[in-house]
Amino acid sequence: MEKLLNIKNLQVTVADNEAEDASKEILKGIDLQVNKGEIHVVLGPNGSGKSTLMNAIMGHPKYEIAGGSLEFEGEDLTELKTFERARKGIFLSFQTPEEIPGITVENMIRTAKQAVTGENIKVIKFRRELKAAMKELQMDESYAQRYMNVGFSGGEKKRNEILQMLMLQPKLALLDETDSGLDVDAIQIVSNGVKKFHNEDNACLIITHNTRILKQLNVDKVHVMMQGKFVAEGGPELIEKIDKEGFGFLQGAE
Amino acid sequence: MAQEKTYIEDIERTLYDIKNVDKSKYKSQSGLTEDIIRDISARKNDPDWMLEFRLKSLEVYNQLSLPNWGPDLSELNMDEIVTYVQPDAKMTGSWDEVPEDIKDTFDRLGIPEAEQTSLAGVGAQYDSEVVYHSIQEDLVKQGVIYTDMETALHEHEEIVRDHFMKLVPPKDHKFAALHGAVWSGGSFVYVPEGVHVEIPLQSYFRLNAAGAGQFEHTLIIVEKNASLHFIEGCSAPKYNVTNLHAGCVELFVNDGARLRYSTIENWSRNMMNLNTKRAVVGKDGVIEWVSGSFGSHVSMLYPCSVLKGENAKCEFTGVTFASKGQNLDTGASVIHCAPHTSANISTRTISKAGGKATYRSAVKVTKNAPYAKCSVNCESLMLDDISRSDTLPTMDIEGDEADIGHEATIGRISDEAIFYLMSRGISEDEARSMIVRGFVEPIAKELPLEYAVEMNNLVNIELEGTMG
Amino acid sequence: MNKEIFSEIPMRTWNWLGVNEAVVDRDLLVESQNLDIKIEAGHQEKMLVEYRKESCGTVNINIGENAVLKLTQLQLMPQNCNHVNEINVVLEKKAKLQLVAVETGAKSFASKVNIILKGDKSQADVSLLYFGDGDRSLDMNYVLEFQGRKTVGNLEVYGGLMGESQKIFRGTLDFKQGAKQAKGYEKENVVVLSSGVRNRSVPIMLSGEDDVVGNHAVSSGKINEDKLHYLMSRGLSPAEARKLVLEAAFNPVLELIDDEALRQEIDSYIKERLENE
Ligand SMILES: Nc1ncnc2c1ncn2[C@@H]1O[C@H](COP(=O)(O)OP(=O)(O)OP(=O)(O)O)[C@@H](O)[C@H]1O
Ligand SMILES: [Mg+2]
Repeated sequence: MEKLLNIKNLQVTVADNEAEDASKEILKGIDLQVNKGEIHVVLGPNGSGKSTLMNAIMGHPKYEIAGGSLEFEGEDLTELKTFERARKGIFLSFQTPEEIPGITVENMIRTAKQAVTGENIKVIKFRRELKAAMKELQMDESYAQRYMNVGFSGGEKKRNEILQMLMLQPKLALLDETDSGLDVDAIQIVSNGVKKFHNEDNACLIITHNTRILKQLNVDKVHVMMQGKFVAEGGPELIEKIDKEGFGFLQGAE
Repeated sequence: MAQEKTYIEDIERTLYDIKNVDKSKYKSQSGLTEDIIRDISARKNDPDWMLEFRLKSLEVYNQLSLPNWGPDLSELNMDEIVTYVQPDAKMTGSWDEVPEDIKDTFDRLGIPEAEQTSLAGVGAQYDSEVVYHSIQEDLVKQGVIYTDMETALHEHEEIVRDHFMKLVPPKDHKFAALHGAVWSGGSFVYVPEGVHVEIPLQSYFRLNAAGAGQFEHTLIIVEKNASLHFIEGCSAPKYNVTNLHAGCVELFVNDGARLRYSTIENWSRNMMNLNTKRAVVGKDGVIEWVSGSFGSHVSMLYPCSVLKGENAKCEFTGVTFASKGQNLDTGASVIHCAPHTSANISTRTISKAGGKATYRSAVKVTKNAPYAKCSVNCESLMLDDISRSDTLPTMDIEGDEADIGHEATIGRISDEAIFYLMSRGISEDEARSMIVRGFVEPIAKELPLEYAVEMNNLVNIELEGTMG
Repeated sequence: MNKEIFSEIPMRTWNWLGVNEAVVDRDLLVESQNLDIKIEAGHQEKMLVEYRKESCGTVNINIGENAVLKLTQLQLMPQNCNHVNEINVVLEKKAKLQLVAVETGAKSFASKVNIILKGDKSQADVSLLYFGDGDRSLDMNYVLEFQGRKTVGNLEVYGGLMGESQKIFRGTLDFKQGAKQAKGYEKENVVVLSSGVRNRSVPIMLSGEDDVVGNHAVSSGKINEDKLHYLMSRGLSPAEARKLVLEAAFNPVLELIDDEALRQEIDSYIKERLENE
């Protein structure tokens, strides 16, 4: 099994807006290893630090790495800028995708694809692929000409994230609550999209509060985060247990 | 990861700063006297009434003082400005006859190509005189007149006399008076009733001689139920002496007519651009302004729409980009004088590298304009903390049946939006410039393709080397 | 008569609009009384300033670190008087100001409010209610200057105009260089009740700092027809319906007045004016 993502004792702080110069520690030592072909799930209560982990992997400038290591395919990520990480094959589906007026979905994805592959993308072929991917996600073609997420409903924004994932074909897809805000059918569509995307050469790290999206995926490992730490780890059986009992039984663990 | 502050160095503007050896055969003496005005008038072979008009304007000019608001104009020394420059070329209708060096400059500005790409006519003003001019034949057949102002003054004297500076009277402000006294060159368009000009008419104005002012006059009359799209493109080479541009644009949009007036101004960075543009719109008529201001050292430009007939409409879309050493004071004004008139003003301003961008507007609803509707939206983007962005709109509303709304925002590019684009593999520079281009996109999409491309290029040139 | 410029717009514009300055009788300025107040660091105070008789005034306030002031200024001058009033406030670090201003009196008045958010994280919330009827003239010039980092300034204005009244409201958010992460918001809603009104609004935003968020919005129009229709369908007369709708429009300011009796007084004063129309 080939190692893709290797995180050791990762500590992450964020500059606190309220306190004067203090920075707040959010992640307090995370260990995580994701191999090619795997699907990992991160569960945890609101505010436990799940999105922070995603942002730290993606290199958000607000989140400072205070300790530990972060490697992708054996290479240190910490010195790389966000776009360099993306070009290595990391993709983040945002919990709250940004609205960017004036940039169409098509233009955005084509520019991104050119940046990631380093190749000049031919318009006609690209359009064909985009159309096909949109069809799969049951997105109306006209959305290709709309401005990025401007005026999109919550569910449409999430689909647009998955559309980008399908088009960019990353090695590691980080999905931050891509299923929240989606109706039952849409969850199914997105879940199909992820299933189709996933293969032996890539991996997914999925944050969710809703286990429906996981139904047709073969989850390899489950991590439970509470207050900036993984407090439990296991196989898919953990999902069921938490679904039934909540996080309560783990309260003492940390 | 620390956020690096990015700075902006002005890049070479060679493409836009081409200048020819000054070969003008005549330059009026510096400063403005009655003799100079008489001299200009004689050379232009003005009818008597025009000479009278010029002299009256000079009087008004001497009485008025500089505006006590807006950008600082103290750098302007009227005595130093040579008000009239006539190039070596005579009026010509064929490209072959245009002198080589002038042609070369135009070539680099892409004028002949523009014509080839199905433009209806080209009136290119070189210094103060129109040197090249043509119009497609079918327009002539439809009765459309497109010519330079001097020709119009002689061949269509009545029409010119009825309209010339009726909308912008010389007493309007000091530079309108100056214009009335020394105007020279410009375009005249007359579209007869019911005629729709399908392809845009286009004209280029340029300033070439050092210290020369340019005072071209544009007069467009669109008769009842007719329509026209007119494009004005401006670009001037760079010189060291302060240059003045005090043009005047008068647009008459009659009942049921429609006129779109698009401009991209890219004056050189020493130009004082004090331009006056005004339209009057009749019943059910529509004026659409698309206005891009990129160049000049100082600009004061606020196209005004007088909505005179019932149901008349105004659409204004503008973008202003102020960079190092620039003080661009732009905006729009709308006067509602009839019931059910409506206006939509939408502007974007960008400032960087110490540039100063001001959005200034006036919306006036008179007692005679019940059910007037006006909505104003202006957004300002600042690319650094050494620049300035000011917004100064005024609404003056009489009566109780008007519906007026105004919205404005000021801010910078959001870090989150940049992070989002970077997470897709797009570099920080590219992410920023994508966001800026997206910001002006509502204006770009109103422009004809080649102008939209030019505007995007201008934005890119401005942003090059800016970030990183 | 001796006239003098009382207040000026921070950035001039076209003279024909007549909004560049407010000119008042010099006598008014001579009469004006001065009040200087310092709110000590950490203190919380409430103040009420009322103008009811022939008086004009200037209130100068310094709000110390972490101090909080709620200032309510009511201008209920008799209908035959001219009037000027002025408020100048400087806020130190983390100081807070809540200013509630009501301008419903006087034949002709000019008011000037200048708030400087000097200290980091200081905040000013300003709510203004004005009402004009008859041939009254209302002139207001409010400026919020952001100097400190993370300062917050909100300016909410609710107005009603009827008769032949004339009003100028200028509201400026001025972000100075260095006011990083400052946030400013300005809103003016005007309800116009008769055709003889002249209503001028000048919402200004000045910025020498990019790291700010500034928004302003103005809306001016007649009373909401749908609301009127709804109320009338419940049996209210047009006049009653108008009163109710206007009261609702002014509520955001009225409910900030702590003293029940004062609130009632203003409310019934406005209602009375509406009836006389
Ligand atoms: N930029 C920031 N500034 C200040 N605090 C932050 C910032 N980002 C995250 N935090 C804080 O860090 C903690 C973890 O936030 P995070 O968004 O990672 O939670 P989460 O597990 O994703 O929660 P949810 O399930 O609600 O999405 C929270 O207390 C949050 O308030
Ligand atoms: Mg989250």
